[in-house]
Amino acid sequence: MQKLISALCVLLLLAGCAGRKEQSITVAQQYGTAYAPIAVMRELALLEQELPDSVTVKWVQLANTAAIRESMLGGETDFACMAIPPFLIGRDAGMEWQICSGVSRVPMGLTTSDPTLTSLADITPDMRIALPQPGSIQHILLAMAASRELGEARRFDDQLVTLSHPDGMNALLSGGEVSLHFTTSPYLQQEQQAGMTLLLDGEEAMGQPYTGIVAVAGQSLYHENPKVYQAFLKALEEAIRWIQENPQEAAQLLAPLYGMEPDALLQEMTAPGAAYTTEVAGVEAFERFMLEEGYLKADHSLDTLLFSEAVR
Amino acid sequence: MKKLLRYRMVQRLGWICVLLLVWQGAVWSGRVSPLLLPAPRQVLVTFLDRLFYGELAAQIGFSLAIILRGTGIALVVSLGIALLSLYSKVFASLADTLCALAHPLPAIALLPLIIIWFGVGYPAVTAIIVHSTLWPLFLNLTAGLRATPRVYVECGKSLCSSPLWLLGHVYLPASISSFLAGMKIGWARAWRALISAEMIFGAVASSGGVGWFLFQNRVMMDTAGLFSGIFAVALIGMLVEELLVLAEQKTVVRWGMSAPQ
Repeated sequence: MQKLISALCVLLLLAGCAGRKEQSITVAQQYGTAYAPIAVMRELALLEQELPDSVTVKWVQLANTAAIRESMLGGETDFACMAIPPFLIGRDAGMEWQICSGVSRVPMGLTTSDPTLTSLADITPDMRIALPQPGSIQHILLAMAASRELGEARRFDDQLVTLSHPDGMNALLSGGEVSLHFTTSPYLQQEQQAGMTLLLDGEEAMGQPYTGIVAVAGQSLYHENPKVYQAFLKALEEAIRWIQENPQEAAQLLAPLYGMEPDALLQEMTAPGAAYTTEVAGVEAFERFMLEEGYLKADHSLDTLLFSEAVR
Repeated sequence: MKKLLRYRMVQRLGWICVLLLVWQGAVWSGRVSPLLLPAPRQVLVTFLDRLFYGELAAQIGFSLAIILRGTGIALVVSLGIALLSLYSKVFASLADTLCALAHPLPAIALLPLIIIWFGVGYPAVTAIIVHSTLWPLFLNLTAGLRATPRVYVECGKSLCSSPLWLLGHVYLPASISSFLAGMKIGWARAWRALISAEMIFGAVASSGGVGWFLFQNRVMMDTAGLFSGIFAVALIGMLVEELLVLAEQKTVVRWGMSAPQ
């Protein structure tokens, strides 16, 4: 019996070594209209059309950027969509990946339930600020604004509460100790409709326009499998062009996915500050700021951050 | 060898050494990215650095303090419920139903509600810990109280009629073994619930606890830091369990109510 158990243990250990055989590629994203081009790609099978039949495409949706990064690190994911700062943190930690394209721009901003606040300087140390996580684009934008307006990037780092966008909205609206929320569309608009005031706008914080979501791929895939890489890029461009040219149809197509009415979805996708474009903006500014403030350890040139095809 | 194996700590240390060797071997093989598996030495250096020069020690203290408070509240409440159910059949059936409903509910499933009701500060985390420890404690306490031999109770009643005296001298000493078992389960659940809550809520105070330490290292992709956080969590879990085992040896084992482990 004992021998049998030991043999089973060894077998189990060896089983973990078996690799993936079938050719498949996996695209990871999060939830929300910022990822609409990826949803269109999937719904219209744009990527499948660009690839030979032997390749299957898997679509996964993960809860946060850290999970996406971890799945990419584990070799489970080939293409991922995320904001620029989490990408930079991964690159800085040694992940061999680069940006292949922009995906979308989305309105972001800091809202507050306290109407007496007029600027960041009015925020007292006992006020809690909800945002998705440290190192997220919302956190870095807040740090940028704090640095510019108050000369102290890490001023609010001890006041952060890590909450997902919907939980953060609940916490803000329920009137507890969370009196500020750095969030993104559609929560940003919903909070304002519920009477919250917008204290700081994302572009104001950054001081320039920036890409909200970029598509990222591993260097090994880029060099070893250029056909797959090109196919993804082409399909993404196609999806973005289709949304730009047919916003109404896009809203119709995606409404059931987001559980929204097509009109409301169209309004959100065409809101001021929202745009779908392959252009990548703001990488350099994020990199410089994060390096200066110690969120990154090493300086990375744009050429090691973006693949040469990316539209700058 | 057989003599040595009798000691649990020796066994544990032995196995930990074997696991460390396997780990070091995997790193030496050079086939694993340090982002997935940093070298043991690097983890140790990071752990000591964070413990002595960073915030880890304060964060561990913070986590333990908040657990102590939560478990304390759960202890008082569960003792109250268990005693009331001992004396009242109606209350016992109510408590039983409540427990059946709430016990299988993971605290994390209640999180959205807890945020709305308690916010995201101390009260919320305390509520999570109380919920996680209250029910296993209550279940074990009632089981212990109900299992008190009839003879003891009758004997006690003939010595003194005060219910309080009976409680302190008969019921509680007789159920201490189930009480300690409940504490063990309660502690394990509280510790897990706290770490998950902190990983979701972020820092409750300015520095936060161990869960926040883990989460920060995760989002900043500091794998060595992440590993040292995991070790801190495992180490404390083990130490507290040892303390509870010690409490068992000083009481129930010494009194002959349970066999030594």
